[in-house]
Amino acid sequence: MNHQCHWTDVENIFLPREATIVCSEQATPSETHFTLKMADGQPIEYEPGQIVELSLFGYGEIPIGIASSPTRKNTFDLVVRSVGRVSGAVTKLGKGESVYVRGPLGHGFDLTKLRGHDVLIVAGGIGLCPTRSLIQYILDRRDEFDRFVLFYGAREPSLQLFTDDLARWRTANDVEYYETVDRGDPSWTGNVGVITTLFPQVELGPETRAVICGPPIFYRFVVRELDMIGIPRENVFVDLERRMKCGVGKCGHCQINDKYVCVDGPVFPFADVQGLEEAF
Amino acid sequence: MSKPKVAFFDFTCCEGCQIEFTNYGDAAFLELLNHVDVVEFREAMSEKTTEPIDIAFVEGSFSREADRARLESIRERAAIVIAYGQCSASGGINALKNHQSDYKQFVYGADAEQPQLDSQKAQPISAAIKVDYSAYGCPVNKYEVLQIVAHLLHGKEPVIPNYPVCVECKRRETVCRYDEADHCLGMVARAGCAAPCPAYGVPCEACRGFVDHPNVPALEKVLVERAGFSQKRAADKALMFNANDLEALS
Amino acid sequence: MTASFIRSDDFAAFVTALIEAGPVYGPVAKRSRFAFERLETPEELRLDYDVTILPPKKLFFPPAQDLVTFDGAGFRAALEPTEKVLLGVHFYDVKAIDQTDLLFSERNYDINYMAHRETTTIVASNIQTVSKRAFFASVGADVEPQGHDAFLTAINGGYVLETRTERGEALLAFGAFQPATEAQIAEAAAVNVAALERCPEELEHGTEAIADKVRAAFQDEELWTTLAADCFSCGTCNTVCPTCYCFDVQDTWNVDQTSGQRTRFWDGCLTEDFAKCSLGEGACENFREERAARFRHRLMRKATYLNEKLGGPACVGCGRCSAGCTADIADPARVINQIMAS
Repeated sequence: MNHQCHWTDVENIFLPREATIVCSEQATPSETHFTLKMADGQPIEYEPGQIVELSLFGYGEIPIGIASSPTRKNTFDLVVRSVGRVSGAVTKLGKGESVYVRGPLGHGFDLTKLRGHDVLIVAGGIGLCPTRSLIQYILDRRDEFDRFVLFYGAREPSLQLFTDDLARWRTANDVEYYETVDRGDPSWTGNVGVITTLFPQVELGPETRAVICGPPIFYRFVVRELDMIGIPRENVFVDLERRMKCGVGKCGHCQINDKYVCVDGPVFPFADVQGLEEAF
Repeated sequence: MSKPKVAFFDFTCCEGCQIEFTNYGDAAFLELLNHVDVVEFREAMSEKTTEPIDIAFVEGSFSREADRARLESIRERAAIVIAYGQCSASGGINALKNHQSDYKQFVYGADAEQPQLDSQKAQPISAAIKVDYSAYGCPVNKYEVLQIVAHLLHGKEPVIPNYPVCVECKRRETVCRYDEADHCLGMVARAGCAAPCPAYGVPCEACRGFVDHPNVPALEKVLVERAGFSQKRAADKALMFNANDLEALS
Repeated sequence: MTASFIRSDDFAAFVTALIEAGPVYGPVAKRSRFAFERLETPEELRLDYDVTILPPKKLFFPPAQDLVTFDGAGFRAALEPTEKVLLGVHFYDVKAIDQTDLLFSERNYDINYMAHRETTTIVASNIQTVSKRAFFASVGADVEPQGHDAFLTAINGGYVLETRTERGEALLAFGAFQPATEAQIAEAAAVNVAALERCPEELEHGTEAIADKVRAAFQDEELWTTLAADCFSCGTCNTVCPTCYCFDVQDTWNVDQTSGQRTRFWDGCLTEDFAKCSLGEGACENFREERAARFRHRLMRKATYLNEKLGGPACVGCGRCSAGCTADIADPARVINQIMAS
């Protein structure tokens, strides 16, 4: 019973590729910012908002949103928060060491819906990481977009990520940057309060396209603000987080009702997920 | 690089879990010794240690106040403490005595007043010291212990299942005890043993303790309705290895 | 394709010839139940089985399957499929295989499943004994089973083998088959229709009506809490389900502490930690923390979520979950009929 088989010719979606750590920097006490380069010299081709499955053999795989824009060639950034087996092991690695990646996976930000419009990005906590791919993209292709407003909220000043970026954005002309912390410290002179306290500080029109990424509780309150501005919900995009174990829409762990976050998302138009009882 | 130092200690127990460690067979056991340095293990060697330890396997329950100081000394010296076996992890079978007051007279008769019998409630060692991880089971599953050691050697938190034994029975396509007019505790019992007992036609006794949130009322209902137990027997069925947990849940 | 007949007396020799040619899997007795196992002799084959404990998915999607192996030198795919024949699959399980074929191949083609499918010749067989919780006749009744290479039906004096593919046709060379007569073909058809009449349970409504009403019941917290009150979160309903295909992935080291494997294990959405994510500092978020939410998710998956993609419900009425649930709360027919009646 010999049959024509093609299984040996098909790419195995669970085989990762090796990547080398070009740079590793402690971003906060629990988060490490890595810059990676594919070991075979072939850069991964991705859109802002896509994820990779990052792994170390023996430890496992975790989904991480890419934190840099494809406009910055050859390398890509990941921020890893040390919370578990894989992230704990990865954050111990340094320059020159290897990690393994599968991807890019999932659907990122639909740039066709954002180009030519005012864009507001609302990022909370580690939610700044995946949105940074879009922030960089907009800054690199600034003339493709109209106004660009960025809100960033962190729990406290010491937990702010990408502090070099923040320093630049504070004074930059190509982004209107507003930031807040839930709790200040003696050196903090900026806004203190939850993310929604930034909305009264800036005039936004109903034509604005909005992107939200933050902790689970975040979305409901931010969407309420956007509703008040009159931004239609199909122009609001959310970047969701679940337990994306396989990253290829099979293992089932990341499901929100009938959606697989890893392949249907992680970026969704809010209008597509607002009716999902398990989403928010 | 020097090998991590591993030591075994025992408290109120039968030391069967330590014996289990020697049951790997030569190849695996000797291979393991390439990666760890066993510095105290009275079932297999006579040396003892007072030096710092990387991994301390502590067998047995905490059942005498006099043992507290020794537990604390192990904790002080050990980077990682593993409650090794069910007596240590939950009190195990020793905890059966906790709701008895008359056993001393009943069991020991004229010798009931011997000082070594003067024990307190049998508790997990976590009642006395901080425990990092637990190797469940009566006895422990040696293959799981091998994985726990492998994980710790690599600085990775061990993976201990929080799903019930039913998962492992189904994975190996075991005929359910309830389909053979029997009873079983597999629905509330923590897996990780690969479900050997039901595969040999023996009901699961939950010797690895309960999953994090066992549905005990449903268990009693099933034992009564499907296994024909009396309400009292159903309520007591899981006591053998879970007396402390049942008391905490009630 | 063709329809052939083989006499009962010649059937054992056919199975023997298949066994001699390569691995053959079929239903065999396992204590009081049945299981698909590799056949050693034709006598072990029990085509009169009612239902197996596990569905045949275990041959394509094993309970524990290495995806990648690694050592100090590198890593590689662990896949090594072998050509085999799977004999005696009931039509409801063929329908389930059709679903997992689609789900593992769509969007991201999973060769770790598909290679096992591609190397398997599937011979379906008629249902001689109907299991005590089956409702296969009334669920997705308009969905035809596809993914088999031949269909074997026991009739008086022998078996009719209707081939569906070239692979199925190739089986004819292994036995003393002759062309089936019109009467034999008609008898086989009647046998298969009659099996549909013997289901002890049935869904009382059609697929679309069920999908709509079950979906609309999502927020009825009291309903789900009541239905799931006796749930053990044991995942048996998932594990024995022929259309459940969720998995967990874990890496382990071998005793040399250098080599190891990345393995996927069957997982089930009913188990407590299925949707749990760690957030750091000991905190975690469980997106389906309550057993009622997990119970509901499974039923939504079976009755509504996948219908559009699959062209029917993600349930084939095999009754394995109903029979396997120790608390007897998992029966989709009973639960759906209750929701429909409310």
